[in-house]
Amino acid sequence: MTDTSATPKIELRNVTYRYSIGTPFEKAALENVSLQFEEGIITGLMGHTGSGKSTIAQLLNGLLRPTEGQVLIDGRDIWDSPKDIGAVRFRVGLVFQYPEYQLFEETVARDIAYGPTNMGLSQEEIARRVAEAARFADVTPDLLEKSPFELSGGQKRRVAIAGVMAMDPEILVLDEPAAGLDPQGRKSILDGIRAYQREKKNTIIIISHSMEDMAVYADKLMVLDHGKLYRYGTSHDIFCHAEDLKRVGLSRPQITKFIMELQRAGIDVGGGIYTVDDAYREVLRVFEKSLGKGADRSC
Amino acid sequence: MLKDITLGQYFPGDSILHRLDPRMKIFLIVIYIVTIFVANNPVSFALVLASAFILVLLSRIPAKLIFGGLKAVFFIMLFTAVINIFWTSGEHLLVSFGIVKIYREGIEYAIFMVVRVISLIVGSSVLLTYTTSPIALTDGLERVLAPLKVLHIPVHEFSMMMTIALRFIPTLIEETDRIINAQKARGTDFSSGTLMQRAKALIPIMVPLFVSAFHRADELAVAMECRCYRGGEGRTRMTKLHLHARDFIVLAVLVLFLGVIISMNIWF
Repeated sequence: MTDTSATPKIELRNVTYRYSIGTPFEKAALENVSLQFEEGIITGLMGHTGSGKSTIAQLLNGLLRPTEGQVLIDGRDIWDSPKDIGAVRFRVGLVFQYPEYQLFEETVARDIAYGPTNMGLSQEEIARRVAEAARFADVTPDLLEKSPFELSGGQKRRVAIAGVMAMDPEILVLDEPAAGLDPQGRKSILDGIRAYQREKKNTIIIISHSMEDMAVYADKLMVLDHGKLYRYGTSHDIFCHAEDLKRVGLSRPQITKFIMELQRAGIDVGGGIYTVDDAYREVLRVFEKSLGKGADRSC
Repeated sequence: MLKDITLGQYFPGDSILHRLDPRMKIFLIVIYIVTIFVANNPVSFALVLASAFILVLLSRIPAKLIFGGLKAVFFIMLFTAVINIFWTSGEHLLVSFGIVKIYREGIEYAIFMVVRVISLIVGSSVLLTYTTSPIALTDGLERVLAPLKVLHIPVHEFSMMMTIALRFIPTLIEETDRIINAQKARGTDFSSGTLMQRAKALIPIMVPLFVSAFHRADELAVAMECRCYRGGEGRTRMTKLHLHARDFIVLAVLVLFLGVIISMNIWF
């Protein structure tokens, strides 16, 4: 199922993770999972609530240690020397769900600088990274000298994301970065993440259950079901199989459903449409040629 | 992890101790504490320790959980024991080098103190916190303290504050874990460096924790006012507490136990 042609940047190999071992509350969050994340792309990790997504995020940067199995970066086990796990956390940036709560400094600029400062970088380098991360995360210069507690929810979110981006990690894991924001806020954050990835060419993993967002922003999609890999591929590969998705509690993007409704109503629009932009172009095409050629991309 | 602290937690169950009336439990615990402090000879200490074990058995809570919780107070016990060993003087000198003199009485005292602390913690946590839901506990406390209302002490408000505080302990622990993890992901190092550096590493945890605690308190206050909470005046209850036969039986057993311990003091 996993694409083996590209070398994985980061990999879970036969990982099992159990919570609260030795107590009556012991529970396996992941059972013998193997996942490979390709280098230099945005992978969308999807699955319904309780499918183990957030556990995977914390395993990837060494906050959790697998009960069994290995986590490998560039083929090397990150737990080879547990003492140096701190260094792994600089290589794998992790933005938690609702990361606003992690802000604490007096000014936004100093908060963004917190991670790079912990890395022991020079003052000039820190200043450069703060400016750069602020640009990607759409934190405007006038905000930099404000207190993070004066900002709006969306602004705080962007500052928190900038704080991790400023560490310039090889791999950036974001857990529901756009959750709970208005459409404009979602777009601003996800656009920023994509621009950052396209420029840095690093490996990004976005955990989300928004089909709409992932169809637009992820290069590859990974679907989990009950802590197991269920599907891996491009958005076309994934959304073609509606029945499969329904079975694991996910569904196609709304725009795809809309296009299918149009087809059902006898309008000759093409299939395989997963983003609003594609739908826009397709509908426009059909309008322009009142006798369109019909579906060339079948699903 | 912080989650591993079990002392003071409620452990749902259906044992006789769970079913006792919370008001009665507060009385029982007072009697039990008096009993522990009345004990002053080896035989009664053995009985006190045995009673703590019996309480654990009655509660049907895994003993491992309860005694695991004692780890948190291990140093207090050790400290008490050491102080008693070195600072008690008596008639039977065992060891002496320089100014340090260890007497048999000192060692006896140290053992007694440790037994006392263990029985106190195990007994009171099994009798009260492990087996009483926080709501029942504060409800009971409010009733027991009700007479103080005559002195214009806001008993209801105190117990409401206690309920809220207890309710939010797990939430705050979870929150602290979340913040610690988020800051660790940004490279905070809590385990190395000088004392000053370690203290500084706590700032990124304390600030967000306080901010969110105040925020939450504010939201809770608004939510309570929205539901017309106006304090204890004229407030009725959904569940009324009733004393059952079992409450009086347990009371009788415990009073008898206190009597036995007292009479042993007289005989020995």
